[in-house]
Parts: sequence; C-alpha cells; structure tokens
Amino acid sequence: MAATLSKLSKIAAAILIAGVTLNAFAADLLDTVKTRGTLKVAMEGNYPPFNFKDPKSGELTGFEVDVAKLLAAKLGVKPEFTTTEWSGILAGLGAGKYDVILNQVGITEARQKAFDFSQPYTLSTAQLIVRKDEKRSFPTLESLKGYKLGLGQGTNFEQKAKAVAGIDVKTYPGSPEYLADLASGRIDAALNDRLLVGYLLKSSNLPLKAGATFGDIDKIGIPFQKGNPKFEAALNKALDDILKDGSFKQVSFKWFGFDVSKAPSVQ
Amino acid sequence: MELLDLLQQAAPTLLRGVGYTLVFAVASMLGGLLLGFPLAIARILPARLARWPASVYVSLMRGTPLLVQIFVIYYGLPSIGISFSPLTAGILALSLNAGAYLSESLRGAILGVHKGQWAASYSIGLNYWQTLRHIVIPQAIRIAVPSMSNTLISLIKDTSLVSVITVTELMLATKEIIAVTFRPLPLYLAAAAIYWCLSLCFERLQSRLEDKLGQAHKSN
Repeated sequence: MAATLSKLSKIAAAILIAGVTLNAFAADLLDTVKTRGTLKVAMEGNYPPFNFKDPKSGELTGFEVDVAKLLAAKLGVKPEFTTTEWSGILAGLGAGKYDVILNQVGITEARQKAFDFSQPYTLSTAQLIVRKDEKRSFPTLESLKGYKLGLGQGTNFEQKAKAVAGIDVKTYPGSPEYLADLASGRIDAALNDRLLVGYLLKSSNLPLKAGATFGDIDKIGIPFQKGNPKFEAALNKALDDILKDGSFKQVSFKWFGFDVSKAPSVQ
Repeated sequence: MELLDLLQQAAPTLLRGVGYTLVFAVASMLGGLLLGFPLAIARILPARLARWPASVYVSLMRGTPLLVQIFVIYYGLPSIGISFSPLTAGILALSLNAGAYLSESLRGAILGVHKGQWAASYSIGLNYWQTLRHIVIPQAIRIAVPSMSNTLISLIKDTSLVSVITVTELMLATKEIIAVTFRPLPLYLAAAAIYWCLSLCFERLQSRLEDKLGQAHKSN
C-alpha cells in the first residue's frame, strides 16, 4: 500500500507540475479570490486538533479552521472549506481545485519546487510516543535503529525516518491506527508533530507517554500555486496582522494552551 | 453500553457517507452499463477496425488502477482545461472503469451463446443485427447476470476511492470519526457491516433477476 501511494504521489506530482506551468500566466490569485469573494481552503478534516469534524454537530472545526477564518477576514473574503484525503491534497492544489491548504504542511525543499509558501505560522518539532512502561530511551532518531517505528503515510516524518538507515519504518493511514499498534506492542515507538502528541495522549486513553523531541524545527506554512506575487504579499500581510493583533495567539491558546507561532524549547 | 453510545454518535456522519456511496455506486452502475453494452458489441463485430479501439479501451481501463484513473480525471485534466466537480469526476471515473469490466462479462456471455443459434436464425432469414438483438443478446444477458453482478457489487466498495477527490463517502466519514474517537476497530467493523448491507441489497436484486430470466428459459 505504501509503495502504491508513493508511486501515486509521483504521478500526482507530475500532473500537478504540468498544471502549475500552464497556470503560470493566469491572473494573480489575489484578483481571483477577491472577485470570487471566497478563499477556497483545503484540509483533511480528520486531523484533530488542527482540523476535524465535531463528533456532535458534524461541523468542521479546529485550530486551522479558526486561522483560516481569521485570514479570510483580513483578506476581506469568506472562507470556503473542502476536506479531502492527504494523498490527494497537494495534487488538488496543483490542479487549482482550491486556493490554499491549511493542514500543517511543512515547508520542504521538494514542496517549494512545486508551490509557493506563506511565511510560517506554526513552528514545531518531531516527537516520539512510546508505551508508558517503556524502559529503553530513544534520545535521537538514530537510537531507533533496529526498532519498529510507526508514522503517517506521506508525512514529513516518514521522509525523516526513512533517511536514517536501519529504522524499521511502518507507515499507517492515520494516528489512531499506529497508536493502537503501539499500545498492543506491534511497534516500538511512533513519531508525530510535537503539537499533536499532547492531544493524542489525552484523547486516546491508551497507556502511552511522550518521548524525546528531535532537534530541528519544522516550519509549517500555507502552500499556494506559484506565480502569484500579489496573493503572496496579501497572505503574508494578513498573517502578520493576526500575529500582531493577538487574534492568532488567542486561537493558539484555545487549542494548544500556548503560542504555536513561537519556536518550541527543545527538551 | 459505551459501544452503543459510540455507534449512536457516529450514525449521522456514517449515514451521510452512505448517501454519497449510494449516489456514486448507482450512478456509476448506470453509466457502466450504458458503456458496457456498446463496448461488448464493438468487440464481437466482424470488422477488425471496429474491434480494436474497444479492445484498447478495455485493456487500458482494466490494466491501470482505478485510483490512478480518478487522479487523472480529477487532478490531471484541469491542466488541459477540462475541470469536473468531484461528483462528476468520481462518477465518470467509476463508470468508465466499470464499463470495461461489464463489457467483458457481456462479451463472454454473447460468445457463450451456442453457434447453432446464429445459424438457425440466419436460416429463417434474419440478418446479423436482427440475430444479435432478438436471439443472441436476450440469451446472453441471462448468462451474464452473475458476472455482471460481481462488477456492480465491487463498484459499491470501489466508491471508497473517491475520498481522494474531496468526497466524504462512507470510508472517509468513518476515518473522520476514528480521528476524534480513537476507536478504529468498532468503527471499521460498522463500516464493513454497512458495505455488506448495501451489497446484500444488490445480491437480492441479482437473484430476483436470475429467477425472472431463468423462468422464461425453463418454460422453453
């Protein structure tokens, strides 16, 4: 399955690069968005607490939903949300199905070749999750050599872990699946965003605990199609505004209890 | 009774997902059947020129993953200026795919009708098309029902792939609930049960159709 997905993501990448080049001469995205009156925002919708469907009401909610609402307001338009699977989300952006993605998309070199990014709006690090009774310590990614590490398919963490030879990387469709496997002992540790770990441990009720955080800081930005300088300026200005006027901080405290736009202190 | 609470909480979201799954499955079945018949006939025509485009099409659709076809139609075509809504793109991809499989079921069934039927019908003065329409196809459909039902029931489950093009069908709806409840097993089982129920409806339909077509056959 993982192999199929990576093949598919290559096909998707080829398709979206073709799309990006063809769209290069279109009007600036800012004009399109203003004329339309909506900012089309894509997210997974099953990635709490960033973006998820409220189990009671079925409404889309979460940190990134709030941020998107703030940004759209600053741009003078309404947000229009689309939820889709991670495996198709970047391809959809390349094909122009929506304007931006707010789904903890890490700013990486590979992705910057296909898309432009806003300035970072969250900073985080990778963090391990282990069983509560875990005696071994895994202070670095290298210390996981020879062990089974679970993580999400197509995530940044997958690329990071696979870059270290000798780690037995198992990829999963989502965190509920690898947390269940971790609790039952089929894998030795799981790797996720530091921002998520607290939430996962609290909500899953499994006998798990947080492990080490790994040094380098991940910058999370908002990707959009290349060749839209006016949109880029307006989006960055909108981000500046909400970072300065305190509304971003308020949203951040609401979902995480701290300011996620500040670099985390590494353990 | 915590499990009941969970399922009760999940029910509205799952049912919305079922709605999408049904819309995609039924629309694509009709689309697939509309496409499958002409394809099957094109592939049995005596003229080679009529046969090969249909053969290439069937080979292409059966030889590439449905997921890739969905990707190409929804994410790929916009780069040449053709853009579909998720609903249209999904139904189109599923229909194009199912059509290829259905045409093979039908072709096999048409070839399965005894050669003597053709000879007999020519001998009473019917031409090729009349024989096909009045003698061969009615018999072929009866033979094709079980294998066509296979394709149509697979289609119900294949709808889960449209989750990659922003459609919250049953499978994605299930994942959304799992993401907030962290209870994969009961919810995947619930989804499996729902898929099974949907398939059961089509199985019933199949056996009724078999009875009906078989009755006419028996009275002969």
